[in-house]
Amino acid sequence: MSPVLKSGSKKVTAADNLYTVVLAVAFFVVLATSVFVAYQCYSQYGTIFKIQ
Amino acid sequence: MSTLTKVLIVLLTIASIFLCGIVVTYVANADNYKQKFENLNRSYQAAKRNEDNAKTQLNNTIEEKDRTAERLKEQIASLEGQITQLKSDLATAERERDDANRKVNNWAAIVMDFSKTIENNEKLVKDALTERDMKEAELIKQSKELKDTTAALMENMAIVKQLQEETKRLLEEKAELQSKLDLYLQQYGKAAPEPTPVTPAQEVVGLRVPPVDIDLNGTVTDVDLKNQLAEISIGEADGVREQMRFHITRGDEFVCDMVVLDVWPEKSVGWLDLLGDQQQDQPQVNDRVSTNL
Repeated sequence: MSPVLKSGSKKVTAADNLYTVVLAVAFFVVLATSVFVAYQCYSQYGTIFKIQ
Repeated sequence: MSTLTKVLIVLLTIASIFLCGIVVTYVANADNYKQKFENLNRSYQAAKRNEDNAKTQLNNTIEEKDRTAERLKEQIASLEGQITQLKSDLATAERERDDANRKVNNWAAIVMDFSKTIENNEKLVKDALTERDMKEAELIKQSKELKDTTAALMENMAIVKQLQEETKRLLEEKAELQSKLDLYLQQYGKAAPEPTPVTPAQEVVGLRVPPVDIDLNGTVTDVDLKNQLAEISIGEADGVREQMRFHITRGDEFVCDMVVLDVWPEKSVGWLDLLGDQQQDQPQVNDRVSTNL
């Protein structure tokens, strides 16, 4: 998906790959956050989900 | 892809990033409650052990305090007994001190009396010595007079003997003349009258002083052999006078004589005469004194 420039119109539209990248960024951010939170929980409480 | 999908993708991404940032910030800044719990738990255990130690020390301290209190009570009781004993000792010591003070005062008075007595005795001794010297001088004078008198007496006795012989011779001549005169007058039947001496015979008159038996008796109450003085139990009220001589006897034995130097109403003091060297020849208290043996 490359940007499509239509002649005669001045509206610029992004390619669909850009949104895929945005989603990927969002996914990795969420994943990194989850890993960080899991690490913190494990390091502080010794478990990830179990409540002692 | 529709515009709505794109908008949702963008919003979802922004929301995810925002929420993840918040979560990361929160988790990074959140307190480590497990570590806090462990720290607090260790602190609690340590405090509990400290509490146990403190309770143990408190109990030990209380027991020690009780033992100390018991020991102190025993010491207090003992000390109270000692205080009572010391109070009684103090009272006894005070009584003894008062008695000693009284004795000291009495002895001081006695010493003063003795000092006065010693002064009087010294004065008496001086007077006695002076009088003894005078007596000795008088005795020497009388001895000298006695010698002169004895010599004169011997001379007079020789004269008397001579006169007696002369008298005897005259009496013999008188008897012879009387016998001759009687023979001569017998021839004429006469007798010679009794001759009358021209000088009348004088009767010898002598001064005769009848002895006075005053017969004073007493006892020796004090003796000072160092100064040869003695004190007797009779005085002026009994008829004792100065220079009166008493005989001191013990049983049937004569001890010595005492010449009175000073007289008080109830007692007398004199110096000892004819004092022997032996112990039994020296006067003692309770010996008998009398003017007549």
